[in-house]
Amino acid sequence: METVNINQLHLDDLPWIIEYDETKCIQCGKCTAACSFGAIKPVVEKRRKLSGGLTKPSFEKVLVIKQQISFEHHCRGCGMCSRVCPNGAIRAIRNTDDRYSVRYRAAKAESLKKGGRSNLNTEGRTLDKIKIGRISQMTDPSLDAARHKFELLTPFGRVLSADKLNLHFENGKMGVQKQLPPNRWIYPILMGDMSIGAISWRMWEAMAIATAYLNEVAGIPVRMCTGEGGIPVRLLKSKYVKYMILQIASGHFGWNRIIQAMPDMIEDPAGILIKIGQGAKPGDGGLLMASKVAKYVQEIRGVPKADLLSPPTHQGLYSIEESVQKMFLSMNAAFNFKVPVAIKVAASVTSVSVYNNLLRDPYNIVGGFFIDGLAGGTGAAHEISLDHTGHPITSKLRDCYLAAVHQGRQGEIPLFAGGGLGQTGSFAADAFKLICLGANGVFTGRLLLEIAGCIGNVTGKCNACNTGLCPAGIATQDVCLTKRLDIDKAAQNIVNYFIATDMELKKLMGPVGNSTLPIGRSDALITVDKHISNRLDIQYVC
Amino acid sequence: MCRIGAIKSKKYLHPSIALKLMRSQQKGHDNSGFAFVMQDLGGIFGAYKNLPILSMAATVEGTRRAEDILHDLGFTRVLQWAPEIHNEKGLKIEPMPNYIFEAFQYPKSHKYATDEEKEELLVDTGLLLRSELEKDNLGYMYSFWPDVLTLKEIGSPKDIGTYFGLWEENEELCAKVITAQCRQNTNYDIVRYAAHPFFLDGYTILANGENTFFEKNRDYQRSLYKGYIGFESDSQCFLYTLHYINKLLKWPVQYFKHTITPLAFEEILERPDKDILLRIKASLSHLEINGPNTILGVLPDSQMLCVCDSKKLRPVVIGQTDETVIMTSEVTGLNDVLADRDCSKDIYPDEKETVIVTNDLTVERWKQ
Amino acid sequence: MNKEKVIIKTLIDNNRMSTQELLQLINEKIKEGYTDFDIEACGQHNIGGSSWAKDRNDILTFKITNPGQRVGAMALAHTKIIVEGSAPADVGWLNSGAKIVVNGDCGDTAAHCAAGGKIYVSGRVGTRSGALMKHDPKFDLPEFWVLKNTGSFGFEFMGGGIAVICGWDCDKLDSVLGSRSCVGMVGGTIYVRGPIKNIAPSVYVRSLEDSDIEFLKNGMVDFLKELNKSDLYDSLTKWEEWKKIVPLPNKKNDKISVKEFREKYWIENGIFGDFIKDDFKVFPLPASGEGRIHIPHWNSTNCVDCKICLNNCPQEAITTGNKVYSVLDDKCIGCGICEAVCPKGCWTIISERKEIM
Repeated sequence: METVNINQLHLDDLPWIIEYDETKCIQCGKCTAACSFGAIKPVVEKRRKLSGGLTKPSFEKVLVIKQQISFEHHCRGCGMCSRVCPNGAIRAIRNTDDRYSVRYRAAKAESLKKGGRSNLNTEGRTLDKIKIGRISQMTDPSLDAARHKFELLTPFGRVLSADKLNLHFENGKMGVQKQLPPNRWIYPILMGDMSIGAISWRMWEAMAIATAYLNEVAGIPVRMCTGEGGIPVRLLKSKYVKYMILQIASGHFGWNRIIQAMPDMIEDPAGILIKIGQGAKPGDGGLLMASKVAKYVQEIRGVPKADLLSPPTHQGLYSIEESVQKMFLSMNAAFNFKVPVAIKVAASVTSVSVYNNLLRDPYNIVGGFFIDGLAGGTGAAHEISLDHTGHPITSKLRDCYLAAVHQGRQGEIPLFAGGGLGQTGSFAADAFKLICLGANGVFTGRLLLEIAGCIGNVTGKCNACNTGLCPAGIATQDVCLTKRLDIDKAAQNIVNYFIATDMELKKLMGPVGNSTLPIGRSDALITVDKHISNRLDIQYVC
Repeated sequence: MCRIGAIKSKKYLHPSIALKLMRSQQKGHDNSGFAFVMQDLGGIFGAYKNLPILSMAATVEGTRRAEDILHDLGFTRVLQWAPEIHNEKGLKIEPMPNYIFEAFQYPKSHKYATDEEKEELLVDTGLLLRSELEKDNLGYMYSFWPDVLTLKEIGSPKDIGTYFGLWEENEELCAKVITAQCRQNTNYDIVRYAAHPFFLDGYTILANGENTFFEKNRDYQRSLYKGYIGFESDSQCFLYTLHYINKLLKWPVQYFKHTITPLAFEEILERPDKDILLRIKASLSHLEINGPNTILGVLPDSQMLCVCDSKKLRPVVIGQTDETVIMTSEVTGLNDVLADRDCSKDIYPDEKETVIVTNDLTVERWKQ
Repeated sequence: MNKEKVIIKTLIDNNRMSTQELLQLINEKIKEGYTDFDIEACGQHNIGGSSWAKDRNDILTFKITNPGQRVGAMALAHTKIIVEGSAPADVGWLNSGAKIVVNGDCGDTAAHCAAGGKIYVSGRVGTRSGALMKHDPKFDLPEFWVLKNTGSFGFEFMGGGIAVICGWDCDKLDSVLGSRSCVGMVGGTIYVRGPIKNIAPSVYVRSLEDSDIEFLKNGMVDFLKELNKSDLYDSLTKWEEWKKIVPLPNKKNDKISVKEFREKYWIENGIFGDFIKDDFKVFPLPASGEGRIHIPHWNSTNCVDCKICLNNCPQEAITTGNKVYSVLDDKCIGCGICEAVCPKGCWTIISERKEIM
């Protein structure tokens, strides 16, 4: 007789349980064929038939779909099975008695890894407790979102205070006396920051196509950040590189190719982003599991097939002064001081000190400060980092803005905020509120994946980006899985989402009576939460 | 809504013209106050053009304290004048105990000082007086500047006129430049400091509108200059921006418009000076206004100025005769006090214009 | 009807009659049968509006100097208002039938929401004039005639009626409609003589047709007569100098699709073309053939040729001959049923990840 050992992994330990209705199943095999995790399999079960009394009981064999019970092949709740089932006979149900993470550590003596986003959103979202409460009525007329003219552009690059522009007046005209730091006007929402490798080539290219389309066809000058995994040379040498912000992180992946391509580039890139940290796993470097280090990823990055761990910090940067003088200077010099150079850090208790220091930089070479909050996403991380480290974005963005106000230097180093934006449906609302709190713009990565077809969520659905088995063809390098992703539809969805968001931003600007971005207009915001009111210095209402 | 007016003339005019200018525009304001600034003074102040005049309303204690401060700083009083009060029954006015209009000789230490040094002294002294009076709620310091006189009061403009005897013309009190507003700023508290026109360091501004970027403007201005204080009215931001652009940055006054209502990008990109305009747009984005406003102003050299918001939401019209140019909210005011002008020469400034009235009363119109 | 003219002076010494006092006085006089008014106003609002004669067939006539805002507001048919000199904002606001003649300029938002009657202006009109003019088919079209020009942002959200901007004495202007006019215009017609610029993209500017000329010819006679400027008729009726503006029908989204953009304008063979030959075809869910993520392999060792696998394969993807079983790759989706049902363990499912080469 087969017995069960109490220490064995059991169905009841898993985070997701397959609910299967045998009576509806036609045994077409589509669910098992579609499951990239191998979490379900067809099996033949032996069933005992009750004896009618005259004969002995008999047995019959039944073909059923059965969930696999193993650490390697457990169900992630992605729901592909129910998507393909013609009869609605199968679906994954969340197991509220899940003991998986305990079992995993106990069995493997390893830190648990996963991808996606934090699933411990215990603090709730501050942005959802804020509303736009100052509505133009009698004194300052509202604008019509559909028909009035709006300008949704924000400066990217170091902005000098007016007295430092050294404008001089001669023969009835003002002139500039010296070369000023590069400054570009861009759409206040940036996309990307996800590396080649972490996401499939189709997903990455879909974002690049969407960016080009938004700029050239839709008239929405969105910029895309490459992420830390380099950039294809074909894009680098094309005219579309002017919409791309090249990222350099501690791994410096792909930069040798960028340098080699420089003499052949026909356009400057939109900017350079020095990535110090990321909000989803602050203090941790990038992590690309070997399963996703495909041949072309190896080539671009200059590495073999292995788990790639970027160091948590840039070697050689051991102080803020160092980072400004060395890193900013080098990156400014790379494109002859013509391309804005910004920095991205994980939101942290210390972000304000960093920002204060950058604001006081005498060389004016810091072109933007990106702060990434804890609710952002990631390709792979240790669960402990993802769920238990980080800092919410809203108060940190506000702190930085107010620190600049305190110095009288608001706007001089444009602030960009990100990390879990759009989580509750409306990205435009999150963007607008952060802009009112002082952001020049916002950035998003994970949301783009969801727009393209990612089926994960913040409550633990799927979140298997680290496995390379992404059922949507997004966070994988597998050919069969990647080709599930329709590049045109993914790009079209992103384009559509931005066009809708553009209209929705106007729908928020109109009522507050602004035709240009309301950066720092915290007077437009209200909250029913007294603590948020105090912390962010916005009006408390009830 | 406010109703505002700015008068510039070749001859000396009595402030009754301001009352008459505003009278027909009464439905456009709320009758809650009246304030004016007179510049380029004639009459009894005409002989003291180079000496600072203190305009103040205060309690007895406030008056004493202000005089002590000035005395301690070395200022010596050379002229004292007070309006004759007509405290008739039933007047709607909330008067202060004393109204002080006094001309002072500079301290000996400044006998040979440059203009800049004298201006600095006057700004500092004005700020000191204001803060001392504010401490114990002793009164209000409106202006301390050569050739400038300010009066502000809460109440019905007509009754304020009666109270100070302003309806009757006389030669004692007259000026070539008069700016006036009917209304206290009732968006917020009724505060005398909230009443336009505002004066600082030679610049006068008054506005009709709503500054929706008030908080942005204020947050930025606070750190720019010691005189950028108060903010009892969101329109003070316009004064500070004008002062910042023209006095501190020393940019031509045309750039005031480029700062508060920068051109749209598509327009900027077609211009030869696009590099400059983009830089200004980025560097001074916190001084942009995005709400409805008509702004009238007087520059330190007595030139008058008018600009509107970029959507041209608030009214303004400029009428002129050979002797006088008047900018005001509604044409009814012009019809009353400049009835004999050629109406077809009236100017209705548009959303891109800066209108300047020079000292020989030439009206210049600059397109942004 | 009382033929006697009522003369009202609203400013005596420094005492000004309030709007309420003036309007109530006018209404009392109307009730008494008076129809003819001469009003020396001092900025009082709404003069001439929402009134009708005691005998509804009589015409009410107001001659006004220095009115305040909204002169002729909500005025009805059988009302004629003549303003001597310029008037401030909102002339003829919600005009519902009156003839309003302004011998001077109008401030901002003249003819705002006018739905009937005629507004004649001998000078200029300010910003946002003609906004939201509309036409109720049960009544005559509203008409708004301006001898000179308008300020910017005119005719926003216009829904009906006719505006005629004659561009007289506008030689120095680069646009007789200011800037950004006709935003949100969905109905009505604007006739205009003289240059225009920066007009909203959602309207057509077209040449006049015969019916337009017919309308303008007739209207112009009355317009100029009321202004006492009939001598301008010849100068203003050179029809080749005129244009008309009408709203465009709702435009459909004419942007190309992203797919088309990729195929026509994007980097040929994609940005990863150096590494990957991607035809950008999409595998269905679940896919057969090369799109399978699980692939069955048959091993003959234990096979008893029972055909259970073949008969249970939902895709009918298994064939056999000579006791050799093979999979039709283009049919097989890799469900694993063959492996499950085989009593002898002949089938193995391999789930290897395949990288692009």
